[in-house]
Amino acid sequence: MDAFSPWPPLIGGLMIGLASAILWIGNGRIAGISGLFGQLLPPLGTVWWRVTFLVAMIAGAVGAAAIVPALFEGFRPEAPQLVGTPLWIATAGLLVGLGTKIGNGCTSGHGVCGIARFSKRSFVNVGIFFAVAIATVAITGIV
Amino acid sequence: MRAEHAPAYLAVASVSGLIFGAGLYIAQMTSPLVVLKFLDFGELFSGGWDPSLGFVIASAILVMIVGVRIAARRARPLFENRFYLPEFTDIDTPLILGGLLFGVGWGMSGICPGPAISLIGFMPDNLWIFLGTMFAGSFIGHYVLQALKGGKMPAPAE
Repeated sequence: MDAFSPWPPLIGGLMIGLASAILWIGNGRIAGISGLFGQLLPPLGTVWWRVTFLVAMIAGAVGAAAIVPALFEGFRPEAPQLVGTPLWIATAGLLVGLGTKIGNGCTSGHGVCGIARFSKRSFVNVGIFFAVAIATVAITGIV
Repeated sequence: MRAEHAPAYLAVASVSGLIFGAGLYIAQMTSPLVVLKFLDFGELFSGGWDPSLGFVIASAILVMIVGVRIAARRARPLFENRFYLPEFTDIDTPLILGGLLFGVGWGMSGICPGPAISLIGFMPDNLWIFLGTMFAGSFIGHYVLQALKGGKMPAPAE
């Protein structure tokens, strides 16, 4: 493995923060991805901007994958592979969907937007899911 | 015309989504292994630990704190009538239970909702399984949340 460089995660994080700030100042909406896709389910009120955001997000990731590695020689992306058996992946997906709906947020909504607003609910939720995720990795030894 | 259908509103959503997705990729949050290697604190002192996620979330929060401050000076957003704050305000059972369940799923997979959707652009093996059960979980979760809240649910989001 190459030596760790803090620049890609720093720049990526700045962009995620900037995107969240743009959506908040422009449209008054929280850039919380679990909320965005969770509300694509009926009743379909103002679904268009959510679809627009999510499609643009996919395009942004694909666009960056096409451009960034060519621009910066030192940038070596990891393959975007999933870990575990299909049953493992299915269970993980179900828990992520359930947990983010019941807790009303995920890494973006609670983790970035909520913490930045100093929301007590977000501090509690983020503290729990980080601690539990770290414990889960330690117990399952999936890495 | 509703505010959400105005071209400027959709342009903001597009620009924000594009930057968000590109940021996720550049930060390598689209690679589940990078996330899992951060969560693997057992490797903290053996050199196998990947601090990426820490840099990502810290820098994202710092920029968003500035964004929240700029927004706080305004009576309303640029292209909408009001700021849509989350409807829930209590630290209650669903908030805690949700964090527990999400934590297990995230620790098993290294995938949270943003990367899950962004990975559609790369279609790695078995992604459709994750997306399918994640959507199912969100759908079921709506009714679980309703039951846990005991009828104290706010009106559905507009």
